Amino acid sequence: NEYQKVLKSEDAKLKYDLAEKFYNEGDFRRANRLFEQIAPQYIGKPQGERIIFMYANSFYQIRDYYTGGYQFERFAKSYPRSEKVEEAAFLAAKCLYLSSPKYSIDQTETHKAIEKLQLYINQYPTSENLPEANKMAQELSEKLQRKEYEIAKQYNTTRNYESSVTSFNNFLLDFPGSIYREDAMFYRFDSAYRLAINSVSYKIEERLLEAEGHYNNLKKYYPQTKYADKADAMKAEIEEQLKTVTSK
Amino acid sequence: QEIALGNNQKYILGGIEVTGIKSYSEQAVIAYTELRIGQEITLPGEDISRVINKLWGLGLFSDINFYVTNIEGNTVYLELNIQEVPSLNNVKVQGIKQKKIEPILKDTELKKGKKVTESFLTNTKNYLINKYKKEGYLNTKVHIITTPDTTESSAVNMLVNIDLGEKVKVQNIGFTGNDAISAKKLRKALKNTKKIVPGRFWKKSKYISEDFKEDLVSLIDYYKENGYRDARIIEDTLAYNNDNTIDIKIKLEEGNKYYFGDIRYIGNTVYSDRLLGQLLGIKKGDTYNGVLLKKRIDDPSKPDGENIANLYQNNGYLFSQINPVEVSAINDTINFEIRILEGKPAYFNKISVTGNEKTNDHVIYRELRTKPGQLYSKENIIRTIRELSQMQFFDPEQIVPKVENPDPNSGTVDIKYELAEKGSSQIELQGGYGGGGFIGTLGLSFNNFAIKDLFNKKAYKPVPMGDGQSLALRLQASRFFQTYSFSFAEPWMGGKEPVQFSVSLSHTKQFLYDYLTGNADKDRRFNISGITVGIAKRLRVPDDYFSLSQAVSYQHYNLKNYNTALFTFGDGFSNSLAYTIALSRNSSGPNPIYPLGGNDFTITAKLSPPYSLLDNTDYKGLAEERKDAVENNDTDKIAQIDQQRFKWLEYYKVKFKGNWYTNLVDKLVLKTGVELGYLGAYNNHRGVIPFERFFVGGDGLGNYTLDGRENIQLRGYPNQSLSDNDGSIIYNKFSMELRYPLTLKQTASIYGLAFLEGGGAYNNFKNYNPFELQRSAGLGLRIFMPAFGLLGIDFGYGFDPIPGSTQPNGWETHFIIGQQF
Repeated sequence: NEYQKVLKSEDAKLKYDLAEKFYNEGDFRRANRLFEQIAPQYIGKPQGERIIFMYANSFYQIRDYYTGGYQFERFAKSYPRSEKVEEAAFLAAKCLYLSSPKYSIDQTETHKAIEKLQLYINQYPTSENLPEANKMAQELSEKLQRKEYEIAKQYNTTRNYESSVTSFNNFLLDFPGSIYREDAMFYRFDSAYRLAINSVSYKIEERLLEAEGHYNNLKKYYPQTKYADKADAMKAEIEEQLKTVTSK
Repeated sequence: QEIALGNNQKYILGGIEVTGIKSYSEQAVIAYTELRIGQEITLPGEDISRVINKLWGLGLFSDINFYVTNIEGNTVYLELNIQEVPSLNNVKVQGIKQKKIEPILKDTELKKGKKVTESFLTNTKNYLINKYKKEGYLNTKVHIITTPDTTESSAVNMLVNIDLGEKVKVQNIGFTGNDAISAKKLRKALKNTKKIVPGRFWKKSKYISEDFKEDLVSLIDYYKENGYRDARIIEDTLAYNNDNTIDIKIKLEEGNKYYFGDIRYIGNTVYSDRLLGQLLGIKKGDTYNGVLLKKRIDDPSKPDGENIANLYQNNGYLFSQINPVEVSAINDTINFEIRILEGKPAYFNKISVTGNEKTNDHVIYRELRTKPGQLYSKENIIRTIRELSQMQFFDPEQIVPKVENPDPNSGTVDIKYELAEKGSSQIELQGGYGGGGFIGTLGLSFNNFAIKDLFNKKAYKPVPMGDGQSLALRLQASRFFQTYSFSFAEPWMGGKEPVQFSVSLSHTKQFLYDYLTGNADKDRRFNISGITVGIAKRLRVPDDYFSLSQAVSYQHYNLKNYNTALFTFGDGFSNSLAYTIALSRNSSGPNPIYPLGGNDFTITAKLSPPYSLLDNTDYKGLAEERKDAVENNDTDKIAQIDQQRFKWLEYYKVKFKGNWYTNLVDKLVLKTGVELGYLGAYNNHRGVIPFERFFVGGDGLGNYTLDGRENIQLRGYPNQSLSDNDGSIIYNKFSMELRYPLTLKQTASIYGLAFLEGGGAYNNFKNYNPFELQRSAGLGLRIFMPAFGLLGIDFGYGFDPIPGSTQPNGWETHFIIGQQF
C-alpha cells in the first residue's frame, strides 16, 4: 500500500506530506514512523520546527511518554523563539508526569517531573495550562508523601516502633501540610505507645511521657480525629501505667 | 572595504555565504548555525559568539571566522569562513602483530570518519608509547604519518608506525647501605620489578617506571614493618647494559631499629584501656612496626576487620577519630599515645533506597538492618548489603551504601542504598537425553512475583513483579514420564514477620520401561499427585542466620499394572502423609552465586504418623506370612500383604547437609561439604518403605524425583549407579571443592573448580561403614547467567568400581543445569 511504499522511498518531501496527512487524521503511529525517518534531515531547515513538534507530539499520542518528553524538551531548546514553545514545555513536563511510576518503587522520574512542572509554573505564570500543571504537581507531591508515609507505617507493622517514631517525625517535618498528616500523627502515637508499654523498666517512664506528648499533639491539631476511640483508650492505658510507675 | 559597525546595533540578516567548505554543503553549515535569513541579529554581540561556540562544539571545524560583507540600510550580509577538520579514511598499523591491531584501533578510536586534529594525533601517540612502556618496552617509538586521501575531499589516510624495540629486562638489582636486611629479602619486597631468573615463567623480568616507584614505597614499608622507621632511599639509578638489559642500584639508609615503648590511651570513656590494649595486640618491647600499628587501629581494606576504629564504628561512634601520636623516643624505644576523640554516638535518621525500578519498597525495607532511630553501626551496613544480595533481585556488585548528612551536632546520619535491579526471572527450555530417552523441559520461574497484581492488566510488564514472591511452573516430559509442578512462596506472610509461606503442587505420570522394545508401555503406569504446604521462620537465637521450617505434605501414589522388584502390588495405591521439620543456618555470602565465606547447613527430619502403633495389626505375623509367601513364590499373596503395609507409608527420614566456605587467598575459595541421610521404619516388621529412598551417583539433578527419591550428586560415577535399583536407605558423602572465579559480572559469573569427593550408599545399618567410600576427583566449570540460571560441566574420575564391577569406574562427564550448590 501507499504507506509501505512511502516508508521505503527516498523522497523526503513525499514522506513529509504523508506523515502530516496521517498526523492530521490521528494515525499517530504511522506518522511517527515517517517523522522518525525524516526528522534528522529537516533539522535546521525552515520546516524543521513544525516537523519536530509533530514528531514529539506523535510520541505523546502513542503514549511513549519517555521519548515524547525528551523530544518536546529538545524542541523547546532548539526553537526557543517558536510560538509553540510554551505548549512544548508543558507537554514535556506532562510526559514526565505521565511516566512517573507507582509510589512504591524508585521515584527518580517523579522528582524530575515535579522539578519540570515547577519550572513551567514559574516561567509561564499566566498560562491557561496553569491549573492542570498545579494539579499534576500536587498529585506527584502526594505520591511522594504516600511513599514516605507507607515506609514509616511499615516500621510500625514490623514492630520496629522506635524506627517508626523517627520516620514519622521526619515525615511530619518534611511534609507539614500533608494529606496524611492526621494518620501520621496517630501512627506516631501508636508506635510510641507500643514502644512504651513493651519497654524495659528503666526507660518506661520516659517513653510513656513521650507517647503522651504525641497523643496531645494529635488531639491539638485534630480534636475530632477519626482515631479518637483508639487513641483515647491508649491514652487511658498510658495514664494507668504512669500511675504504677511513679508510685513505685 | 572597511565597514563601520555600530555598538550592539540591530540588523536584519540578509544572507550568509559560506566559504572554505570541502565536503559539507553550504545548506548544512547554515543549518548548523541555526541562523535564519530575515531574523534580527545584534552586531557585534552575543548572537555571533553563540554561533561560533556552537560550531566549535561540533568538533568538525578547525577554524571559524565571520565577516561582514555588506550592509544595506539595516540589512547585513555575512560571510562564514571555515576550515574543515580532515576525517580519517584508512588506517594502517605497522610493527606489531596483526591480532593486536584491532584492540588498539578500538582503544584509540582510530576508525573511519574520526576527525583528525593535532591534539588527537598527539594523544594517540602518547597513548601508544605509554601503553608499551607499561608492558616493559621502554624504547618504543611511534610515528604517525598522515597523507591526504585522493579519493575523498577533506580526508586523510594514516600510517601508524610502531617500533617496539627490545623488551628491557633487569639484569641485576643491587643495594648499598643495607646492613640489617639481606639484598635477597629486599629484592623480594620489590613486588613488580624482578631481575632475570632463568626458568621463572610466571613473573617475567621487566622494568616499568611507575611500578618501580610503587615498589620503592613498599621497600620502605618493608623496613618500617621491621622496626626501621627512619629508613629512606637516598637514590636509585638505572644503568643500561649493552645487551638491552638494565641494572638497578638502590642506595639506602637504614637508620636504627626501634621498639614499641609505652602505649597510653587518651580520651577513651566508653572502652577501657585494657580492652583497647587487647584489640591493639602490641606489647611494650615489640619491634616497632608502623604499618601494623596503623592496621590495628584502622584497616580500610578490611571493612569487617577487628580493630579499634571498627569497635567504635560498630557501636554508634560514627564521628570517632583515633590518632596514634609518638610522644617521645628514648634511645630506640618509642612511646605512643593513642588519642581518641569519641564524639557523640550517632543514630540512623533517614534510610532510603533508590534504583528499585521493579521491587516494591516494602520488600526491601523489611530486609534492611539499618533502621531509623537505631544506633549507627558499620557492621549493620555490611550485613544489609549481604541481605540485599541474598534476595537475588539486585546485582550484588552494584549495591552502594551512601552515608549522607552526617551531623555531629544532632548525632544523626542518613544512609541511602543505591541498587540496580537484575533479572530475577528464569526461563528454562531444554531438551536432552537422559533416563533412556529424550526429555523436554519447560520451566518458568519468577523470583520477584506480585500475586496481588495477577488480575491487574497494567502490571504485566511482562509479568507482575515486585512483591518478592516466587512462582514457578515446570513441565517436563519424555517417552517415559510427564511431570507438572507449580509452586508459590511468600517470604513475609502477613508482612509482620519473616515467616515464609509456601505451597507446591505436582503431578507425575510414569510409564513402565519395556525392556523388550526399549519403549514406554503406556498401559502400565504409576501416577503421583502431591501437595506440600510449609512455613519457615527466621530465628533470633542462637543467632539470626538460623531458620526453622515446617511442612506438611501429602502424596497419593497410584499404580496400574506396574510391577517392579519393589512394587509388588502392581495394581494398588499408596498414601504418604508426612511432617517435615528442618533447622538450617545460612551465613554464606556475600554473593550467593559465589560465596567467599560463611557456611550453610540444614538438619531435616521427615516423619509420618506412627500408624503401626495405632492400627492393632500384627505386623510380626504379617512379616512371617510374607516370608512364607516369598518361599512359596505366591506373588498375589505378597502383593496383598505389601498393599496392606504400604497403604499409608510409615517412615522417618533424617538428613544432614553442611557446606563451609573458606577464602584461602584472593578469591580462591575452598568449599567443604558433608552430607548424611537415613531412612528408617518405626516398626521393623512393617519394614522400610520402597519410596523416599536415596540414589547416589552422577550429577544429582532432581529431574527424576517421582517416588520421593533423592538423587545425591557424586561425580565420577554414572547417575544413581552407587545405589541398588531400589535405592538405598543410608548414604553419606564428603567433598572438597576448590573454586576460582574467572569473572563475577552481572551478565555472567563464571568460575572453575577442582573437586575431591567420596560417598557411599548402604542398604542397612549392618553394611554401614562411613569409611567405605567410592571416591572421585575432577575438574569443572560453572557459568551463572541471570536469565538461564546455573550451567556447568564437570569431568570426574571415579577411583573405585561401581557395584557389580571390578575395574575403577574411570572418567565421567556431567552436565549440571540449574542446581546451585
